[in-house]
Order: sequence, then structure tokens, then C-alpha cells
Amino acid sequence: MTTTPFLSIRGVAKRYGAVAAVEDVSLDIAEGEFVTFLGPSGSGKSTTLYVIAGFQGPSVGDVLLRGSSLLRVPSNKRNIGMVFQRYTLFPHLSIADNIAFPLKVRRRSKAEIDARVQAMLRLVRLERYAERMPAQLSGGQQQRVALARALAYDPPLLLMDEPLSALDKKLKEEIQFEIKRIHNETGVTILYVTHDQEEALRLSDRVALFNNGRIEQVGSGRDLYDAPATHFVAGFIGNSNFLPAKVASASGAAFEAVLPDGSRLPGLTGARLAGASLAGAGLKAGDDVAIMVRPERLTITRGDDMAAGLVPATVTATTFLGDVVHVLTRTSWGGEVSIRLPCDGFRGEPPQTADKVRLGWPAGAARIYSAP
Amino acid sequence: MLLDFDRLGWLRYALCLVAVLVGLFLLLPILLIVALSFGSSQWLQFPPPAWTLKWYGQLFADPEWLTSFFVSLRIALTVMVLSTVIGLMASFGLTRGRFPGRELVRALFLTPMVLPVVVLAVALYALFLRIQLNGTFIGFVIAHLVVALPFAIISICNALERFDIAIEDAAIICGASPLEAKLRVTIPSIRLGVFGAAIFSFLASWDEVVIAIFMASPDLQTLPVRIFSTLRQDLSPVIAAVSSILVGFTAVLMLLAAFLRKDKPS
Amino acid sequence: MTTVPTPSLAGEVDLSPEPRRLAGLGAVAPALGLLALFFVVPVVALLLRSVLEPQPGLQNYAEVFGSTTYLKVFGNTFLVAGLVTLVTLLLAFPVAWFLAVAPRRWSALLFGVIVLSMWTNLLARTYAWMVLLQGTGIINRMLMQIGLISEPLSLINNLVGVTIGMTYIMLPFMILPLHATIRTLDPTVFQAASLCGASRFQVFRLVFAPLVASGVAAGVLMVFVMSLGYFVTPALLGGTSNMMLAELIAQLVQSLLNWGLAGAAAFILLVVTLAIYAVQFRYFGFGGGEAR
Repeated sequence: MTTTPFLSIRGVAKRYGAVAAVEDVSLDIAEGEFVTFLGPSGSGKSTTLYVIAGFQGPSVGDVLLRGSSLLRVPSNKRNIGMVFQRYTLFPHLSIADNIAFPLKVRRRSKAEIDARVQAMLRLVRLERYAERMPAQLSGGQQQRVALARALAYDPPLLLMDEPLSALDKKLKEEIQFEIKRIHNETGVTILYVTHDQEEALRLSDRVALFNNGRIEQVGSGRDLYDAPATHFVAGFIGNSNFLPAKVASASGAAFEAVLPDGSRLPGLTGARLAGASLAGAGLKAGDDVAIMVRPERLTITRGDDMAAGLVPATVTATTFLGDVVHVLTRTSWGGEVSIRLPCDGFRGEPPQTADKVRLGWPAGAARIYSAP
Repeated sequence: MLLDFDRLGWLRYALCLVAVLVGLFLLLPILLIVALSFGSSQWLQFPPPAWTLKWYGQLFADPEWLTSFFVSLRIALTVMVLSTVIGLMASFGLTRGRFPGRELVRALFLTPMVLPVVVLAVALYALFLRIQLNGTFIGFVIAHLVVALPFAIISICNALERFDIAIEDAAIICGASPLEAKLRVTIPSIRLGVFGAAIFSFLASWDEVVIAIFMASPDLQTLPVRIFSTLRQDLSPVIAAVSSILVGFTAVLMLLAAFLRKDKPS
Repeated sequence: MTTVPTPSLAGEVDLSPEPRRLAGLGAVAPALGLLALFFVVPVVALLLRSVLEPQPGLQNYAEVFGSTTYLKVFGNTFLVAGLVTLVTLLLAFPVAWFLAVAPRRWSALLFGVIVLSMWTNLLARTYAWMVLLQGTGIINRMLMQIGLISEPLSLINNLVGVTIGMTYIMLPFMILPLHATIRTLDPTVFQAASLCGASRFQVFRLVFAPLVASGVAAGVLMVFVMSLGYFVTPALLGGTSNMMLAELIAQLVQSLLNWGLAGAAAFILLVVTLAIYAVQFRYFGFGGGEAR
């Protein structure tokens, strides 16, 4: 009836005395999936990975691979592949011997090892480097060898702990592409930890966004960007503007908010807040909320005609960025709001510094969260 | 400017002068011994009236010197092996362990190095009188082990602290048991520190004289003890020959150490 | 934000929810056992004998501090150690400075000489000075040949001999920590100081000297402490009239079999040594020292 998930993380928590590194994490992962743990440092994403790797036992919870618990299995018997943040090639062994190491400890035959090493070198496109020593390779090459070593024994699950964080941007993108290709070629299930959202969005099928030891939201990159479930997700993924407001009245679908300058947002009633937009459920009059709008969803109208837009503001800076113009404005209560306009998205001249403008957004573009 | 050699002015000449004099002060006595060991003068005249190998001949003809040499060698090699193995274990415990009092244990391990050797010598002599280890091979090994161990621990701890533990973790994730990971990955990676520990331990025992003076019996004398007791009687040129061999020995060890350092992967 | 320890497999595969309290103790056990049995026990036993033999009490300490013979040994020990420390510092400072600034080839050469000297067998080096300094030795003969003196100078079995021999032994232990400190100085600091208008002497006094103070302290304390307890060189180059503490302890045990008194002398030597190390640790950390 219910199929067993490939990897199941169930209610895992890890505490060090009074400090909780992981509060409560549960997640099911399908075979062949590429899932990324994304989040700021200290959010518990790495600790969760270490629990899966067996670096430490969880304080509570369980981790199951194909339905059987991993907790009683020592790390070296878990048959999991892992690529670390730091370069962890064995410095005294050649590249080929590094890749052969996991096969040698598994007592495979020499012929099998040789064939497998060749295949792995081909997979990461480093055939010519077989006899080099790790110190003679660049950081990017070392991480590719580490990837080959982790895949050499055909593990069902590959863990990657910020493997590219020490590399520069260009190299990073190159190896991200390689990782994606290798994932497609091998079909291995990958759990990837990073604090770089661009990397997470580029690589993964699904992203689990961590904060304070919990998963805030799991979903595709698109889900997280378009429909962030919480204030934190909205702020972490992509750029966002938050307008502070107070709930004036809320009853069913009707909803009215007041901005700090006293102006009402009648437009927030009814249709504009329909459906999933109203993320903070159970709001009542008097609650503090934050209204989130992405910079590219905002529209800008010159003049301070009340009818033309919702929020009055003053332009403080305009930056031409080629495909878009970036406009920075200040509201009457001192909040900053940034807007990205396509270069053909306005008539006539772009807004100038000190211009009085009004900001608006189309229906469904704003999301409301209870204030953090 | 005080650190720029070309802009030191007269100071530069003063520094050079002192450096040259100190260099000669350190070097000449060693060269002198070697020269005198080939000189014919019984009274160690310099420059020697003629060159000869007779002191070496006397040295190798004397079974007592040869016996002492091999006694020292046997003790030093045993100490080298034991000190490296025990030091290796202790260093893993110190750098990786989380037991209470770890800093105290670390301090204790280094204390034999900083205390005056004569205190240890007298104390061990007293203990060994009671348990009858004076003048025995085991007694020498134990005593020299106490002296050598701090050097081994410092050398290996330094290497272990520079070694990224994630590399050992990687080996374990790859399927190696924790012990296998240490034997096949960690220890080969810190081999320079281990070799350093071995060389220092060997030298600590090989050169040790104070404890040995107390513990030596007429039947079991290390080379330094024989040199010391000979020196108390006269300055025979045979000692110059022994010393020259020791200097050569040192030079070989230094070259070996330099070679190992060059071999180090950057 | 949180202080979560970096987890690691190495050393222990910790599958338990809480970290093990005694991890690593097993690995240090052999070393710990060896040092407890053959270092701590005998040293403590020796010190105990100072208050237990020939009968319980402090009479051994009273004797040590009450006798002019023993007080003279203490005075002589501190005199030699102080003298050696001073001379090595005066010689080592310019050498360390030279090593830090001179062209690489010269400093590498000098460095090789220093290390060779340090690694050469102690007895071989002491023997060399016995040969050089004796009445019919090379130094006396050369001085007489050039007519500077008519009678051989007495250079051995006295304070002069001990000081020269010990200085020779201790020089590397002063040069290395000093060099380690000077090498890490940033030349731009000195350029900045002189751009600020400081004269060369002011730069030395106000910038250079304070920056190298920790290295000087490390070297001075190490050489002083090592000299205090030195046995071999004073025994061979010194005379009976200026015996040092280590030799006294040895004699009390070997010739006089007076264990109580030897224990008391050893205790005093230990206390002084540990006190000086405590000062160094308190004020300078374990700076610069590199001893073989």
C-alpha cells in the first residue's frame, strides 16, 4: 500500500547540552533524487548530514535507508559516499590509488579495481592525472577526484558537504555542471549541503531550506521562490521587500492592512489576497504583519496621485544594469524598497533621484506573513 | 629599515662581523677534533706534526670501545622503536581525546624534557637500586625512554595537529575501519613527524650521558659513559677519533633529516 | 552563532547520543603508566627522602642553607648560569638579527653551522674545549707564540673554562628562539616608524626592542634554566672550587651516599626551575623555544 521511501529521516534532533544543532527534521527522499539542504551556517543542515553519514548519533529520531535503520551501522559499513568541504584526498597516495582505496578496503580483485578506477577517472574526465599526487592538482580537480573516489564503490547514496565552497565562482559553475552530468549518468541519489542558494537552485530537484535546526520548507526552487511558506524562506530565497503593516480588519477573505504612515491598503482585500497568498493563517485585527513583494513584481508610477498606486515613496537612487534598471526608494516611514524594472517597462524617462512616486503590484504578487 | 640588510649602514658590518665570529666559534672546535683525530701527536699539538690513522686503529683494536658502541646502539634502537610507538599512541590520545585532565597529562608528558636531568638520574638510580635494574639493558631502555618520549610526542603531536582529521573521516566513510584508516591513511600522511620522532628518540638515547653515568656498571657501559670516564683521566687522541665518528654520524642524520624535509609534499 | 563542536569520525565512531567521556585515555595509557612509574614515583620518592632521611624533619634543608660550602655552590650555580645567559644573549642577538636579514645563502650557511653544532655529541664538543683550553692547549700555545703572554693562562677547571664551554653549548638555544621572533617581524612597521620621523636609534628602542622582548625572554629563561641544572660540561671543564648544583647532587649520592641531603638539593633545583618556567608561562606563553 505505502511504498517504503528510499531514504527516510524521521524526527531527528541533535543536542549538545543546552544547544540544539538540529531541533526536529523529517524528510523522505526518493531513489535517484538530488536533494539540497540549503540554509545559513548553524542552521543544522550539516549536522543532519553528519547524522546520516554516522559521524554522530542523533539525540532522538531515526534514519532509514530502504526501510532499515542506519543508526546501529558504523560509518564504514554504511556504504555511503561522501565528498567533504575540505580537500580530503589522501596526500600520500596517487590519484588512481585514492580512487582505488575504497575498493581495496573492500578486498576487490585487482582486475576489478583497475577497471573501476579507469571508469571513474573517465567519469570525472581526469584520465591523464592517474599517476599525479593530490598536491599537484588544483582545488577543483581535487574535488573531482574526491567525487570519483566516493562513487567508486557504487554507493546508493552520495553525501556532499559544501564541496565547492573553497572554489572561485567560475570554477564552481564548471564543477556544478559536472556534478549535474554525473548525477544524470549514474542515477545516484545525492544529498547536497550548501549555503549558496544559486547553487541549490541550479543543482537540485528539491531544496530543503533549513533554519534554526528545522526545515522551513521543502520544494522545487520554483516553489520556494514563488510561494515561500514563511517569512524566513521569503527573505532567504531571492531578493524581497518587506513592508511592515498592521491588520486593520480580517474576516474570511476580506482583509485590510494599515501601513506605518497610516495609509490603508484597501487593495489587499478580497481578490488580491486570494488563495495561498495569505501565508499567515489566523490573522486578526491588530496583528503585526509583513507584506512581501519581489522587486521585479513592483510597478512604479510617477507623481503622488493616491489613485495611481498603493504606497507613496521617494526615489533615492537609480542604477542602470543593462537589461534592467534598479530603483531604490524610501517610503515615508523610512523603509527601503527596491524595484527592478525591465528597461522597456516604463514610458519615457526612468525615475530620477528625489522623484515622488507610488509603488504598486499586480494581484497575487504580494504575500503576507506574521511579523517575525 | 632595521630589517633591510642593504640599508643598515655600519650596523650591517657589525652584524656580519659578529655572525662570522660566532660561526667560527661554533664550527672550529668541531673541525679541530676531526683534524686532531688524524694527527700524530699524543699531546694533541696543532697543527699536527704528521698525519696518521693510528688512533682509529687503537680504537677499533679495543674491544671495550666496540662493546660500548654496540651497547649504545642496541639501547638507542630499542628506545627509538618503543618511544615512537608509545609516542604515536599518546599523541593520538592527546590530540583526539576528550578525557578530563587532558591538559594536565599533556604537561606531564613534556615535563621530563624541562626538568634538570640530574634530578631524574638520581631519582631513577635510587629506584633502580631497589628493584635491581641498574646496569641492566632494561634499566637503560626504561630510563632513556622517559627522556626520549617528550621529543617523540612533540614531533608527532605537531604533525597530527596539522593533519586534517576530515581526511581520516573520508577514509572511514570509504569503508575503512577506524584502525585501518589510521594505519593506511593517517600515519602514512604524518610520516615526517613519525620519522622525526624516531630520529629524536634515537639521539636522545644515543647522546644521553647523565643518567647513564649513574646506572652504568663495569659490564654494561654506553659509549658516552666510556667517553666521560676516559675524559676524567686524560685527553687521549682516541677520544678525538670517537668524537669524529660521532660528528660524522650527526652529519649523516642531518642530511637524512634534510632529505626527508625536501621529500615532503607541499 | 552556536558553538557546536565539529563532529568527526576519527578516533571514535560515536554512534551514541552523548560524546564518550574517556575517549583517548586508552591510547595515552602506556605513556602515562611509564611516566608515572619511572618519572613521577622516583622523583617524588627522592624528594620525600629529603624530609625523611636520616630522620623525619627539615634538618637536611637546615644543613643546606646553613653551610657555607653548600651556599657557595648555590652562589656559584647562579653566577655561572647568569654569566652564561648574559654572554650568549650578547652574542646571539646580533646573530639572530643577521640570520633574519642577511641574504638567504649566507643565513642558510650559518644556520647549518648552528644546527651541526647543536646536534654534535655533547661530550665531543666538551672534549674539544678541554683540548683547546688546557695549559698546553692550542689557545695558550698560540698566545705564547705571538708573545701576548709568557706563562700559560689558567683557562680550564675554573670559572673561565665553564663559562666558555657552557656558552658554546647554550648559544643555539638562545639564537633559535630569538631568530624565530625576529623573523616574524613585519618590515613595513619599521618603515612606517621611520616615516613618522623616528631616528634609527628611536626605532630600535621604541619599536624593535619591544617587539623582540618575548623572544629574548624565552631565550634567556630557557638558557638560564638549562644552565642551572647542567652536569656534564661543568663536571669536565669546571674546577673543584666552583662546583655547581648538579655536580653536588651527583657527589652527594655517589660518593657520600647522603640521600637526604641530595633530595633536598634536588628539591631546591626543581623549585627554582619550575618557578622560572611558571614565570615564562605566565607572562610569555611557551614562546619561541625549540630544544632538542
